[in-house]
Order: sequence, then structure tokens, then C-alpha cells
Amino acid sequence: MIQFINVSKVYDNGLQALNNVNISVESGEFVFIVGASGAGKSTLVKLLLKEIEPTEGKIIVNDVDLSRMKRKEIPFYRRGIGVVFQDFRLLPTKTVYENVAFAMEIVEASRKEIRRQVPAVLGMVGLASKANAYPSQLSGGEQQRTALARALVNNPSILIADEPTGNLDAATAAEIMKIINMINHRGTTVIMATHARDIVNSMKKRVITFRKGIVVSDKEKGEYFCED
Amino acid sequence: MKIRTWKRMAGQGFRSLFRNRVMSLASISAIAAALFVLGLVMAVVMNFNNIIAGLESKVEITIFLKTDTHSSDIKRMEQQIQSWEGISEWEYISKDEALETWREEWGDMAYLLDGYNSENNPLPDSFHIKVQKPEFVESVVEKASKFAAVEKVQYSKDVVDSIASIASTTRFFGMIIVVVLIIMAMIIIHNTIRISVYSRRREVNIMKYIGATDWYIRWPFLIEGMALGLIGAAISGGLTAGVYSLLLKRISSSPMQGNLLSQFQLLPLDSILYPIVGLFIMVGSAVGIAASLLSISKHLKV
Ligand SMILES: Nc1ncnc2c1ncn2[C@@H]1O[C@H](COP(=O)(O)OP(=O)(O)OP(=O)(O)O)[C@@H](O)[C@H]1O
Ligand SMILES: [Mg+2]
Repeated sequence: MIQFINVSKVYDNGLQALNNVNISVESGEFVFIVGASGAGKSTLVKLLLKEIEPTEGKIIVNDVDLSRMKRKEIPFYRRGIGVVFQDFRLLPTKTVYENVAFAMEIVEASRKEIRRQVPAVLGMVGLASKANAYPSQLSGGEQQRTALARALVNNPSILIADEPTGNLDAATAAEIMKIINMINHRGTTVIMATHARDIVNSMKKRVITFRKGIVVSDKEKGEYFCED
Repeated sequence: MKIRTWKRMAGQGFRSLFRNRVMSLASISAIAAALFVLGLVMAVVMNFNNIIAGLESKVEITIFLKTDTHSSDIKRMEQQIQSWEGISEWEYISKDEALETWREEWGDMAYLLDGYNSENNPLPDSFHIKVQKPEFVESVVEKASKFAAVEKVQYSKDVVDSIASIASTTRFFGMIIVVVLIIMAMIIIHNTIRISVYSRRREVNIMKYIGATDWYIRWPFLIEGMALGLIGAAISGGLTAGVYSLLLKRISSSPMQGNLLSQFQLLPLDSILYPIVGLFIMVGSAVGIAASLLSISKHLKV
């Protein structure tokens, strides 16, 4: 379970990105975070990854208060969260297989586990045939699938996606959404920040809308609304 | 951490080293130069210490007499010296004999002494005294100094002291140069690691999201720094060995070998190389690790 309790974030330059945010997400939920550019979506993602600290309030993930977490514990906390971004963030010198295996090497998985798990995840995202390709040889959709495979390979309980379809055309975006939806059905909590009105409206999931750092609506089976 | 992880990190470190080869080369040259100077200083100091040890084991006192000392004075001194306690051997060498000995010892180089004869011989008459034990040196020196005809009493302590002072001066200035060179090497290695951190920033960023520990991220850079230091150590070790054995060869083929320099034999290569290379490995890796630690703490945001 993820809880934001009275969370505010003011950046060093004095800009208030989040203002008294209260959110509670149950395990296994699928939540869209929507809002105009600058509304604070990525700030929320960064707080959840403990990349930045809230100025006020508490964030609790799986019963752990992030502000109480020791520096040493952060990597282990992050291993429970898969992340994908708009810009994929793949390593250009590694193949698809190596990019995914890399995530398992970091958590010191055994070679046997890597050899079993990586092809399985690549199969799940539909990239089995591209295992030996380099990112530069892939389409945008394929690159995002690789990123998804990397995010999922260590079996995280939460998947965070910050505008995962931002660089993709509608058809490719729909395929990515299919994969994310499937991951959600397997029990992973999904939090996805997005601008994509069509995707949000077609999925019929919970939608939390931000405006200038404030939660202005939080609806089950919500619709995208945003005056931008 | 698992062995496999260490291997991966070492691979990463060496790849980085190769990717920034220009900076790596600069780093290695800098550390090698610093260590090479350190090696030379050590070689010189070790040889001085060896000479000192050799001299201390042979306690010989030389009494130089004033020019034109009368032969009856010399006779009187001879008698007194014989009566002193602790004398094991003594010998009077007149200035003519001394000149003759020099001629013999210098061999091929003796032509340098051609202008001298008994008329203008610059050498003094002298007594050479050997004592049974070093403890007797002081009393002998004291008694000898009381002779009116004595110009100077020289004994190994003088030579030992002056060699020791040359050695400590060498060590002092040598170490200043070494420290300056090591600081330069550290600055260069620091920069090399900074560039390497910069060129791997994407990867580091991704590693953080995936949940790599701080040390998992840091180690490859430390390994890279240590490798730079160790390669530098290997090169300077080879260089020191080369220069020293060249020096040994030069000296053993010099015409004065066997007499003048016979008691100042240079130490054999083995006996100086092991301690020096041991020190190189320690200093080289320490400098490499320290420089990369500094660089990482400043430039690697984990
Ligand atoms: N590191 C930072 N320092 C200062 N201000 C920041 C920083 N990061 C973000 N901001 C500001 O905080 C506000 C919220 O930014 P955020 O990135 O969360 O918006 P967003 O909803 O993700 O926007 P977009 O849809 O464009 O990605 C913006 O006004 C932004 O300029
Ligand atoms: Mg954003």
C-alpha cells in the first residue's frame, strides 16, 4: 500500500510543486496520475522513488515511512519498485538481453536465475526475437518494452511509469498499455503519470488529477479532464 | 559480494580505463614518475646506509701530521702509540709512501699524479691505527689529538656522520620532490576518475533506479584508480631496475674497480629491488585509491 499524507514539496528555488497531497493506493491497484505540464506528476514519482524528500508530510510504502528509511536501505527499497520513463533510458552499448540482465546483475542474482528469468520476461513483453539487438536497432515501442522488461525482471510489487507512451504513436502506445495492464493483472500495483487523454479514457481505471500541485479530483473509473 | 560481482566490477573498471586511454596514460605516467623518483631516493639512501654499516664495522683511525714534522717527533709518537690500550695494529705511512700507494691504486689513471714528486707532494705523513673494539676509538682519538704535530685526526665516525648527513639531505629533498609529484599524480588521477564518472553517468543513473547499492556503483571507479596506480608502479619498478642495473654495469667496468671503490660496493639489484617494488605497490595503489575516493565523493552522486 502507498500513502501520501499531507505531502508538500517546495523546490530549492521556492517553487511549490506539490501542495498538501493526500493519496492512498491499495496493493494491486492501477492509478493514473494526470495533470497539465508542471502540475507535479514527476515530482510525485521522484518522491516515491526517494530521489527527493518531501518538504512536509509523510510517504508510507508497504508500511515503511520513507522519511525514516536509512540511506543504506534505499537501494533495497528501490528493488521493490520497477520504473519506466518517457525516454526509455537504455544502455546503448548493451543488447536487449544485456540491458535486462544488467538489472539482475545489480541485485547479484545467480547466473542460472538470470538465464532463466531474462528470456521469460522478454517473452512476456513480446521481445524474445530481439534479444540480441541493440537499442539503436529497435523501434520506440520495442525500446519501451525493453525498459519494461528491465523494470519487471526483479519481480517488483510496484510499477511506476512516468509518461511511458509520451514518445510513441497511438498504436504503439496501445500495445505498451496492454503489457502494463497485463502486469497489473498479475498483481503488480501500477502508478502511471500521463498526458494521454485517449489512453486514460479507454482504460477505465482510477484517475487522480493534479492542478498546480493540488489534487483536484480522485475518481474510480475516471476520465481525463484537464484545462490545458 | 560474490566473486562474480567482483569480476564484473573489475571488468567495468578496466574497460573504463581503456575508454579514457589518454587520461589513463597521463595518470600512469604521473604516478610512474613520482614512484621512479621515490625509487632513486630509496636506492641512494639504502646504499649510503650500507656504506655506513660497512664503515662502522671497520674502526680505523688516521692521524694526519703537519707538514715538515721532524722525524724525531715521529719516533716519539710511535713509541707512545705502541703503549696505548686497545691498539690492534698500527702503521706509519710517510707522505712519499702515500703518494706511491696512490700511484699503484690509481693504475691507468696514475698519470694524473705525474706532476708530483717528493718535493711538492701535497699528501701529509700519517699514522693508521686499528683498534680492537669500537669502544677504544674515543680514547685513542683523544690522546692522538694532544700531539702537537697533529694536523687532523680522522676516524670512521667522521665519515659515517658526513655520509649520514648526505643521506638525510638526499632523503629530505628527495621526499619533497616525491610528495610534489605524488600530489600531481593524485590531481591527474582524480580528473581521470571524474571523466570516467561523467562518461558513465547514464549507467550510474539507471543503476540507482534499479537499486544498486552505493558501493556497487563506487567499486569499479576505485578499481580503475587502483589499476592506474598499480600499472604506474609496475612501470616505475621496471624503470628503476633498468637504471640501477645499468649503473651497476657501468661501475663494475670502470677502471677504478677493485681499489678505490672496492669498499663502497653498490648493493646488488635484488636487495634493493624487492623493498622498492613492495613500496611502489603500496604507494601506487594507495595513491590511486585515495584519488578515486576523493573524486567519487565529489563527483559521483549516489
Ligand atoms: N529540481 C527542480 N527544481 C526546481 N523546480 C522544479 C524541479 N523539478 C521540477 N520543478 C518544477 O516543479 C513543477 C512540477 O514539476 P513536475 O516535473 O513534477 O511536473 P510534471 O507534472 O511532471 O510536468 P510534465 O507533464 O511537463 O512532465 C514545475 O513547475 C517544475 O518546473
Ligand atoms: Mg513529468
